[in-house]
Amino acid sequence: MKPIKKVLTAFAVVAVLAALPAAAADFTTYVALGDSLTAGYSQGGLEEYYQEHSYPAIIAKQAGSPVFEQPLVSAPGIPPLLMLQHLVPSPVLVPSAAVPGQPINATYPAPYNNLGVPGATLYDMLFTTGNIQNLLAGHFDNVMHDLILRDGQHTALEQAIALNPTFVSVWIGNNDVLSAATAATPIEGVTMTPVANFKQMYETALGALATNTNADIMVINIPDVTAIPFVTTIKPYITLPDGTHVPLIGSNGPLPEDAYVTLLAAPLLAKGIGIPTALGGTGQPLPEDLQIAGDQVIPGVVLRPEEVQIINDRVAAFNQIIADTAKAVGARLYDVNAYFNRIAAGYKPTVGAIELSTAYLTGGIFGYDGVHPQAIGYGMLAMNMIRWINKTYGMNIPLPNMYDIMTGSPHDQPAPVSAQEAERAFTQQTGDRLLQVFGPRLQQIRHNASGSGHHVDRRVIPESRHQLRKGVQLAPLPPLDN
Amino acid sequence: MSSLNRKQLFAATVVLLLVPALTWGAGFAIFEHGNRAMAMGGAFTAVANDPSAIFWNPAGLAFQDNHGKKFELMAGATFITVSQDFYGEDPYPGSGYFTSQKDQVFYPPHTYFVWHINDKMTLGTGLFTPFGLGTWWPENFAGRFIGKRIDLRTFDLNPNLAIKLSDKVAVSVGVDYYVGQIDLTSGIGAINPFTQKLTDIGQVHMYTDGMGNDDWGWNAGLFVRLPLNWTFGLSYRSEVDLNYDGYGSFSQFATGYPEYDAAVAQLLPFGHRIPMKTEIDFPDMWSVGFAWNGEKWTVSIQYNEQGWSSFNSLDINFPTRPDLSESVKEGYDDVSQYRFGIEYRPNARWAFQAGALYDETPQPAASMSPLLGDGDRTGISLGLSWVHPNWRLDIGDLYLFVDQRATNGQSYDGYDGRYKTTSANLIGASITMSF
Repeated sequence: MKPIKKVLTAFAVVAVLAALPAAAADFTTYVALGDSLTAGYSQGGLEEYYQEHSYPAIIAKQAGSPVFEQPLVSAPGIPPLLMLQHLVPSPVLVPSAAVPGQPINATYPAPYNNLGVPGATLYDMLFTTGNIQNLLAGHFDNVMHDLILRDGQHTALEQAIALNPTFVSVWIGNNDVLSAATAATPIEGVTMTPVANFKQMYETALGALATNTNADIMVINIPDVTAIPFVTTIKPYITLPDGTHVPLIGSNGPLPEDAYVTLLAAPLLAKGIGIPTALGGTGQPLPEDLQIAGDQVIPGVVLRPEEVQIINDRVAAFNQIIADTAKAVGARLYDVNAYFNRIAAGYKPTVGAIELSTAYLTGGIFGYDGVHPQAIGYGMLAMNMIRWINKTYGMNIPLPNMYDIMTGSPHDQPAPVSAQEAERAFTQQTGDRLLQVFGPRLQQIRHNASGSGHHVDRRVIPESRHQLRKGVQLAPLPPLDN
Repeated sequence: MSSLNRKQLFAATVVLLLVPALTWGAGFAIFEHGNRAMAMGGAFTAVANDPSAIFWNPAGLAFQDNHGKKFELMAGATFITVSQDFYGEDPYPGSGYFTSQKDQVFYPPHTYFVWHINDKMTLGTGLFTPFGLGTWWPENFAGRFIGKRIDLRTFDLNPNLAIKLSDKVAVSVGVDYYVGQIDLTSGIGAINPFTQKLTDIGQVHMYTDGMGNDDWGWNAGLFVRLPLNWTFGLSYRSEVDLNYDGYGSFSQFATGYPEYDAAVAQLLPFGHRIPMKTEIDFPDMWSVGFAWNGEKWTVSIQYNEQGWSSFNSLDINFPTRPDLSESVKEGYDDVSQYRFGIEYRPNARWAFQAGALYDETPQPAASMSPLLGDGDRTGISLGLSWVHPNWRLDIGDLYLFVDQRATNGQSYDGYDGRYKTTSANLIGASITMSF
């Protein structure tokens, strides 16, 4: 009987262990690392209302984090948010104001809990610093890092470790491939980070977090960057009244039906570029690919299927690295790629009998820039993440109130600019502005391109590990003149 | 083409999806079609000794004591009052959200006419409302895009022939002629591209003109007198697929953004009505019961099974606007009911009834919605009858305790919360005359 008893006891122990809930995550000090998607960037800018609807802010609020500080910016935002001036006959989006908003939390005497830096690549998260003095002096070259990292000394990763977090989310890498989609041209080392570099940097970043903090780490992978309205909204053809399709003209010839035309083509199409002369266009081709001529960097506006394939392969390669690295350091992976693909494939999240979709302007998920969610989309994302957290860590964090997010009083719309200033949507001005912040960061592309891509390699410095020792303290923030 | 058209050309390359979803769905059975049967908890299949037997078991008509009269007429109504509260859950409409249905009274009528043709044959015809639904929420409540108000009525005109095969056994067969009407109003919401928020852009009123929608079913019954004063009843009423032809009438609400209103007006048929078709598969029902009938007492037990799994989806079709059509998942389950009733007759003038019932809801939690948030029901009933040689008056009351039930985050509509029926009472009177 004894052996049987032992076996039974062993079984009982195993059963008890299996029945134990996963250890709950501790949101006392939650730090979010990432880029614009983490910062709550929306409608082409960083602004308080949308920052308060960023997924980290919602998660922190729902999880009851006592403190969750963000680099808030007053209306109309930095840069001023876009607004929809006209819907018909075609949408006209314009900056809502000429003068940007102001940082309203710049003297907070510790690193922000939301360290998402719009435009940041994985490299930036590891190595780029920012100094608020530049911003106050009116220099906007590195505005987002200056606004968010402030002290001129410590990177986002270092500031995250300095906060001694109990929970960290990391959603980085989007900008390591997004430029290939927004500039409609995948170029190794220019619009896409090479896989080997990504792997090295990603392992460094997660390794530093795992070594230097006791936090539970939530890792978020990269969504399909070719399924965003910025890419999918404009068809590569014009539909005639009888239903036949006339292809738009690109610099490499007529566009196939499965090509994508980005929103940056809108001002060109409005001028007749890309439209056959028979249909009243100029017959001039749309610039399909990124062109670099001296100081001029002109994004392409057409993604052909083979380019989409290259981009998707790169996303898949990055996501494999993200999953493998997460596993190696004991982090948990939230698969936003799968969630977003479901929605892009036609699954419509239904909230209050309203079906949300990825459709531009009217789908509810994405905002005017066509790349970033708006408040409803961020709310949905946060909701899905909280469900995942509850399941993964055996918790019961309440879901956010989507009714308030969906119907809440509309964000105060700043006064429209005069009609004379407005071009057709997306205006050239709008497009340029967006590109500066989230798109291919033109300076960097030019920089990368001038080094034929090798420059990226040199910037990956493995010795960084020793800099990321535990207990990094932020230098005291310099006094700010009001 | 001139450059004037470039705007349109660009517009043609941008597909704006402005059309909102239209959703609705529900099912609701009524079992109270005679106040004496109701007062006995509906345990009437093996009792079946007044004209309302036409609903529960028409075979019983063959054994009814007709006091030497050829005809019986029974008419009455049941007044149903229901109050229901809704407590929201996250994420939509959110915890802390509370609303209540507007109070309504429904009074489904019933009429039965019985002709005892001879000792063997009895013809009985009933008119009653086997299915009905009425919910009405405040105009601006959070679930308005699912349904603000619904009124669904179904009448069954049900002639039966009951035949006494022997002193112990009777059978019946009947046809069911269903007519129905639907009236549903729901809000139309969409994301306003100017505000990027959910906005009311209009409402749709879907309705049938009068009672012009009909279909046929059938029913049958068996009634057996067993030894020792026991009786046995078995009845079946078939499934009926009722096809509705009606209209959808769309009206627009101004959003304060004229360009958006104009765009929406291009996409929805505001200002006039378009044809609408739908179909509801009303479930079949088996009923089996035993009763013991003493000189002063009757005791009855009964089991019912209703085939609600027929109600799997609800398809609303707009033949001229298929883009607005919608198939709503319902996924109902077959359900059972347990009924118990007694009657006490102290003398020839008075009778008193009491009963109890348990009625499972066929509705899965995921399809609970503002149109119907159902729960299992437990009921207790009381009644009295005042009996004269040529007429009688039956008065009954049934109080239902409806289990409160939450969608637990599973709502198909993404409208989660707890439905709590605070009271559901049915009171009614029937008059029966013999001549």
